[in-house]
Amino acid sequence: MSQTPSPIRLHKQLDAIWQTPSGWGRLSSVNHTVLGKRFMLVALVFFAIGGLLSMLIRAQLATPDSAFLGPELYNQIFTMHGTVMMFLFAIPMFEGCAVYMLPKLLGARDMAFPRLTAYGFWCYLFGGTILIVAMLLGAAPNGGWFMYTPLSSRPYTPGINADVWLLGITFVEISAVTAAVEIFVTILRMRAPGMSLPRMPLFAWYMLVTAGMMIFGFPPLILGSILLELERAFDLPFFDPNRGGDPLLWQHLFWLFGHPEVYIIFLPAAGALSTIIPVFAQRPMLGYRAIIAAIVAMGFLSFGLWVHHMFTVGIPHMALAFFSAASALVAVPTAVQIFAWIGTLASGRPRWDIPMLYVAGFFVVFVIGGLTGVMLAMVPFNTQAHDSYFVVAHLHYVLVGGFVFPMLAAIYYWLPHISGRQSLYRLSVPAFWLILIGFNLTFFLMHLTGLMGMPRRISTYPSNWGWDWLNLLSSIGGFILTMGLALVLADMVLQFRLGRRYRRDPWQAGTLEWATATPPPTYNFAALPRIDTRADQLSPDRIGPRLAGGEGYLGFARNGEQETLAVDIATGEIDHVIILPRRSFLPLWTALATGSIFLALLFKLYWAAPLGALVTLALFLMWPRSLGQRRDVGPVDIGRGETAVLDAEAVGNVTVLANRTAVAMNGTLFASLLFGGLFLLIVAPNWTDIAPLDMPIWAGLSALLAAAAGAVLAWLARKRNGAGRPAGGFLAAAAIAQGVATGLVVPLMLAVPDPTGHARQAVIMAVLLYAILHCGLGALMAAHGVWRIGRGFVSARRQTELVLATLWAAYAAGATALALGLTLLLGSAGGGS
Amino acid sequence: MTSGDKRALLSLVAGFTVWSAAFVLLYALQALGCAYGWSQHRLVLCLAFVVASLPLVWLAFWQSPADDEPASSLSVIALWANRAALGATVLVFLGPIAAVSPCL
Ligand code: HEM
Ligand SMILES: [Cu+2]
Repeated sequence: MSQTPSPIRLHKQLDAIWQTPSGWGRLSSVNHTVLGKRFMLVALVFFAIGGLLSMLIRAQLATPDSAFLGPELYNQIFTMHGTVMMFLFAIPMFEGCAVYMLPKLLGARDMAFPRLTAYGFWCYLFGGTILIVAMLLGAAPNGGWFMYTPLSSRPYTPGINADVWLLGITFVEISAVTAAVEIFVTILRMRAPGMSLPRMPLFAWYMLVTAGMMIFGFPPLILGSILLELERAFDLPFFDPNRGGDPLLWQHLFWLFGHPEVYIIFLPAAGALSTIIPVFAQRPMLGYRAIIAAIVAMGFLSFGLWVHHMFTVGIPHMALAFFSAASALVAVPTAVQIFAWIGTLASGRPRWDIPMLYVAGFFVVFVIGGLTGVMLAMVPFNTQAHDSYFVVAHLHYVLVGGFVFPMLAAIYYWLPHISGRQSLYRLSVPAFWLILIGFNLTFFLMHLTGLMGMPRRISTYPSNWGWDWLNLLSSIGGFILTMGLALVLADMVLQFRLGRRYRRDPWQAGTLEWATATPPPTYNFAALPRIDTRADQLSPDRIGPRLAGGEGYLGFARNGEQETLAVDIATGEIDHVIILPRRSFLPLWTALATGSIFLALLFKLYWAAPLGALVTLALFLMWPRSLGQRRDVGPVDIGRGETAVLDAEAVGNVTVLANRTAVAMNGTLFASLLFGGLFLLIVAPNWTDIAPLDMPIWAGLSALLAAAAGAVLAWLARKRNGAGRPAGGFLAAAAIAQGVATGLVVPLMLAVPDPTGHARQAVIMAVLLYAILHCGLGALMAAHGVWRIGRGFVSARRQTELVLATLWAAYAAGATALALGLTLLLGSAGGGS
Repeated sequence: MTSGDKRALLSLVAGFTVWSAAFVLLYALQALGCAYGWSQHRLVLCLAFVVASLPLVWLAFWQSPADDEPASSLSVIALWANRAALGATVLVFLGPIAAVSPCL
């Protein structure tokens, strides 16, 4: 193994292991290069759809008293425009970019969970398709992309339009959630040896913070969608003020996600800028450390200002002041980054090229958006401009400036990596000017129409209010913008066909992704490098050929396994060898099964949904079958005369980290639910004239005891296993205890009177259901562990199953305790009158 | 991972985690005070502000002792982030708590 074969032979050997077959076999691909490209391609298709919808909007608004679309269709179209752009274009676009780029940038051969990537992709594709098909059938959501209740509640949106949004988006969100876990784990653990955190390229830092924000930002939305769908399907009154609910709860949950969301979109774009700018400025990025501190600050601050979307709903002054101050403050870390970029350009020797045009466009557009953002953060101005076209102008300056322009820069910068060819220049320059001029014509004027009083979301307006020519010019601008984007598309297609081939690293960049061949081979690197400086100041054209020749770690094909390295989180020292799962159709089948749940709910075939859930669960249980080791192997050769253990024998492997992350995410969802209950208790109307509930305390206490016993037993099993003693019995006992806990929550649920009668009962039902689900999940994890022990996958050194069982058992016990606490609190609310 | 590295990584987010917790605490106290008509509402809020600021003041001047490269570099960044968190705490909370009417 130590004498290296020729690069060509090595390539053939590795490619045989990593490649995706052609024909139907393509659908089994789990390779991050393939899936990253698919994500981005589908996102571009949705961008085109969203753009088409915006053209329809602008056609309708071009002239007063227009009868082009009519109000009902118009409502569907602007709702779908917002929804498609935010959920089906922006987020998946950067997910795709992360999936494609991160392993290459960090020096790994794939993401941490290739099959999960594939599953996420299918969920995204199917969920998005549901939304688009519904639109073609005329049943698209029509209440605006933030779906405010009561407008989107059953009495005011009786059809399935709102259900399409709630179910379709939740389905799509699965891909966001899985991507968040994957990105987080991959960045923390799958870097090239020696790449400590402070040596990591800025793009990876940005993605790390973004993934962290997704972990805490998406659960509130998912919870909100579940609750609203429960209200619509089963009449549980979470948002109905007549029965102790509150529409504001929806707004809080939505914006708790919604505001961080715009930063989740902006940060990856800023990461691309921080990668591109130093390359063209021909000097290292200024203020590397300040930028990291700034994005950490931004990640947190952006959670503390969601209420600025709700300034006009009647919130106490002090709360308004908190959120207004936080909104203004978040401009500071943004400014730090802007100054760092400008400073880098100013102190470097800027080189002109196409990506730089879009970087310049970004500066102009984004800064204007930022300024109007600070204006809107001021409560008095906000009260004036709220829900007017001024807001539409602001949000597009921020979103298009902060995402679309950087993304275009990124496309021109990285497309050569995908295509293996360089850009042609003839179309890109006129395309840029059309986009810049068209964009400003469209949206700058909306500031004015907004200040003149034009509300957003109106389908038409009379001609004597002075908005006519501004709207007409806006529409013309919109069409100019579209022509520019169409040219970009043509330019991309032409590049694939006619672009000039190049050797490695066309821009003289300093990051690792340019050290692969282009287009990249299936396994990225024939050998993994050791990094001993900042990883954005490397020389890819020197490193690349050496790696291709197998000089480095794992520069060989062993046992037909897909191998890559895991490192220590902070120092980047080698920790273990990861054996990645091979291609498989399982992710596709599992996503189809998952889709059947959503379709069953959408068409109100409620009996079929649990069946779909069971099939999905069964399929998921098949995933780990092929993973793991049946015997202790000990350290293996990894090249360069070093050794490392395999992941099954590593204490903190990626699976454990991923489950911890998933628990954090799940905990956020539960915390949002608890917050919802407390919020209603304190703020919602109609909570005083209800009588306290009579709950069977014994059942609650014994459920809690059983769940706690499950956790303790799982922990004991883990201890015993670690000491080399048989642990199956304890683990089986843990599973049984958790099963008993599941059963004991049921009498509590039966004791809750009519959950449709009052939000209190509805919340109690939801929390208890959550507890049941998690005790059940804990039992399943333990039972799975028992089965794996039986099949010989567990030993004193191979203990992943036991770590996971303990983790989930502890979480289930904690969740049960909190659920029972809230039940007690809400149950005793009211005084009865 | 050596303990120094772990500490540096945790202290990178420590300051703003405290900031977030303070945000939740103050927002909750503000809402509870209004819902139940506390008579010493502003006093409670001021006390909570002071309590929340104490760990931040400490974090803003304490640097995790690390001498190896990754950890020391991270802990400098962490120090900046934690000072920013202290600044954010003063800027976002102090004005409203001191001067704005809590419940209207
Ligand atoms: C391609 C050029 C675009 C044009 C001409 C355009 C046009 C518009 C217009 C006229 C509205 C207002 C609808 C209304 O409130 O009545 C709107 C809303 C919106 N747009 Fe765009 N847009 C474009 C691109 C984008 C992009 C790239 C994004 C996000 C990444 C985006 C996100 C949104 C959102 C979230 C709304 C709010 C929808 C709602 O109020 O429910 N748009 N757009
Ligand atoms: Cu916001």
